[in-house]
Amino acid sequence: MKPPLRRPPVATGPPGRRAAVLVAVGVLLTGGCTVANSGSAAGADTAQVVLPEEPPTLEPCDASLTATGRVVRSNITEPLAERVPKTGELEPKLATGWKQTSPTTWRFTLRKGVTFHDGSAFDAKDAAFSVRRTVDSGIECNVDGYVFGDSEITATPVDGTTLQVTSEEPDPILPLRLSFVEMVPTSTDAKAKVREPVGTGPYRIDTWNQGINLRLDRYDGYWGKAPDYAAALYTWRAEGSVRAAMISSGEADVAVGLAPADGAGEHAVEYPNNETSYLRMDAGKAPLDDLRVRQAINYAIDRKGLVASVFAGLGKPAGQLVPDGVTGHNPDIKAWPHDKQRAKSLIDEARSDGVPVDKKITIIGRNGIYPKAAEAMEVVQSALSEAGLKVEVKMLDVNAWTEYLLRPFPRDAGPTLLQAQHGNQAGDAAFTMDQIYGSKGAQSSYGTPGLDERIQRAERAAGRDRETGFADALAYQGEKVVRDAVLAHMTGIIALAPDVTYVPDSASGDEMHLAEIHPAG
Amino acid sequence: MLTFLRHRILSSLIPLLVVVLGVFFLARLTGDPANLYLPLSATQEMRETFSAQHGFDDPLVVQFGDYLAQLAHLDFGESLRTAQPASEAVLRAFPATLQLAGTTMLLAIAGAVVVGSLAAYRPNSPADRIAGFLSSTAASTPDFWFAIMGVLVFAVTLDWLPTSGTVGAAAWVLPVTTLLIRPFGVLVQVVRGAMVTALSEPYIKVARSKGASEQRVIFKHALRNAGAPALTVAGDLTVGLINGAVVVETIFGWPGIGKLMIDSILQRDFAVLQAAVLLTSLTIFALNILIDSCYALLDARVRQGAMT
Repeated sequence: MKPPLRRPPVATGPPGRRAAVLVAVGVLLTGGCTVANSGSAAGADTAQVVLPEEPPTLEPCDASLTATGRVVRSNITEPLAERVPKTGELEPKLATGWKQTSPTTWRFTLRKGVTFHDGSAFDAKDAAFSVRRTVDSGIECNVDGYVFGDSEITATPVDGTTLQVTSEEPDPILPLRLSFVEMVPTSTDAKAKVREPVGTGPYRIDTWNQGINLRLDRYDGYWGKAPDYAAALYTWRAEGSVRAAMISSGEADVAVGLAPADGAGEHAVEYPNNETSYLRMDAGKAPLDDLRVRQAINYAIDRKGLVASVFAGLGKPAGQLVPDGVTGHNPDIKAWPHDKQRAKSLIDEARSDGVPVDKKITIIGRNGIYPKAAEAMEVVQSALSEAGLKVEVKMLDVNAWTEYLLRPFPRDAGPTLLQAQHGNQAGDAAFTMDQIYGSKGAQSSYGTPGLDERIQRAERAAGRDRETGFADALAYQGEKVVRDAVLAHMTGIIALAPDVTYVPDSASGDEMHLAEIHPAG
Repeated sequence: MLTFLRHRILSSLIPLLVVVLGVFFLARLTGDPANLYLPLSATQEMRETFSAQHGFDDPLVVQFGDYLAQLAHLDFGESLRTAQPASEAVLRAFPATLQLAGTTMLLAIAGAVVVGSLAAYRPNSPADRIAGFLSSTAASTPDFWFAIMGVLVFAVTLDWLPTSGTVGAAAWVLPVTTLLIRPFGVLVQVVRGAMVTALSEPYIKVARSKGASEQRVIFKHALRNAGAPALTVAGDLTVGLINGAVVVETIFGWPGIGKLMIDSILQRDFAVLQAAVLLTSLTIFALNILIDSCYALLDARVRQGAMT
């Protein structure tokens, strides 16, 4: 028997009073069967979605945060235009059309007959206000940092249904950037973020029991086609296996963010989730500063085997960070072949030329970056050791790992391979190339003038030239620079109850349109 | 008694201050929260603005001074994640944990008294051996495994209970059972040990010789004397439960302080983390003082010992 943790009392009197005190405390603590601030159950005609985490806020200008965006975007609020994940094309939403009137100016024609959930009509003043509030109001919107960065833009209402947006520099993808700006009425606080916004979307916020659930109700004044479900109830469970179990037990209709091991079974639906896993090489440090060593690392990794075994068949071996469906994807780039002999001979060649290939290389991994993250890095470590390199794995939590991901990088880290994953949810290679491959990119450990020049040229181009420009930059990176070992285009899993239908696409991880969830049959 | 209380409260302030200091400085040693809260493509200017807005650009000592000054006005700061007052999040989560821990301990104590007494009544009998085996198993069962198995068996396969959540009485069963097994297992062993000792005391023989019924012997005479060590351990286990509800709250989506604390650690939400730790520490100190005061009320030696 374990000894008591506390010094037992020396008292020998009756313990009745002590017992009474403890029991009284216990009774006080328990409030029958009602948990503090607990919510109500969902009725019929309600789409029940279980998420991995509660949205931190429903502020539309933070909708580029996954946890916020997947609830807000096109459910509560809407943008002027929306990207179709399959084609990469922009389709009209609250704007019916747009055209470029000069290299720096775009005009948007706004949809008529649109109202906000508070009954007010949507017009160009609201649109201009929403753009300004997101990019130029000092409230530090996540969308601003994610999509606009340094670029300055001004939005002006021309008349009730015409909005003019001007950028400082020519910006061929301004409409795409603006597709991240959710429209809110001018009555929205311009000096502070709001937690529960008013929007034009098919659903309005009914009740948000913080910590418990969030209920949205269908907005009867919606300008478009009314969605099938009268309400949506979001709950959140951190544990994937519990989310999957909620589908099996009929407590939820849709569960998102699952891993193969969560056991969704026949309810699981797999979809390419826009993420690409890769290893970023410290190409400025020996021995990784030798191109042959970087090529050897690429040859040494058996991507097919990795996907088949560690990723449970979910994913596709990849040769570039920009997946199909994103402007700039290069269909000619293939995944590196697995060639152990070639890897070994390249390392031997480098060794004989005096490259310190015996120097220890550290793989900086991130726990939970994708399912089986640590196992994947062990497989890579074993392959690289076999090729003749000295490699160790260090798995970190997200914060410690971010220190390695972003400039300024930790000093004295030695040569590292960083386990990373990139998802381009904006749909244009500009959101990948500069920050990941540019010499000065926030996440870039190494670049070259030749690659910088190609990236910048592509960023200034439009249409077909833009596509070929980025495709060329990607090919140049893969052949001449070899800064990465790209591993796989990843696959996500959601689970669906038998009585609903929903077809996930590459954007489903970042936004899940409730209007696309239908009753089965 | 007042002197005793004053002494106890004063001596609790030092560990409380150490906790506050430790959480404040350790949290800030774990990296820049700007990396988590700003998009990866955020400009340097955005990072600097973020740091300035939240006071992270000041020296740590200055930040701590500001924090203490805020505390003096009962201002616990603002959540980085939700931009709401940290006190709101903590006060919303705390009752849920107290309810869970309170219910669990009441059931654990009641169950342990019955099972432990039955086991002690005939030491080494089959009933005693079964109770011993069950309590050892319960005391060493990993709560995470038990919770997931509970969900699979009772919610998915048998469909008797909800998997998780807080809606309805049935939602309490799995979280309470999961949280209950360890304290129940430990308490059965403590009650049994104390009862075995109590039942062999001379006054029990006297009571029996006077013709007292067995029920009266066990529950009136023996249990009264065996209760003290059991309550001592129960007090400690309750303190542990308030902090230990993390796994249960995470798995079952129970909106309590344990989950809030873990989330705020992972998300570097300093203000919420500090408020949660402070309130939890205060509660634990209060519980300790409450339990000690009960002893002091009952035993002058404890009171006087505290003052020497």
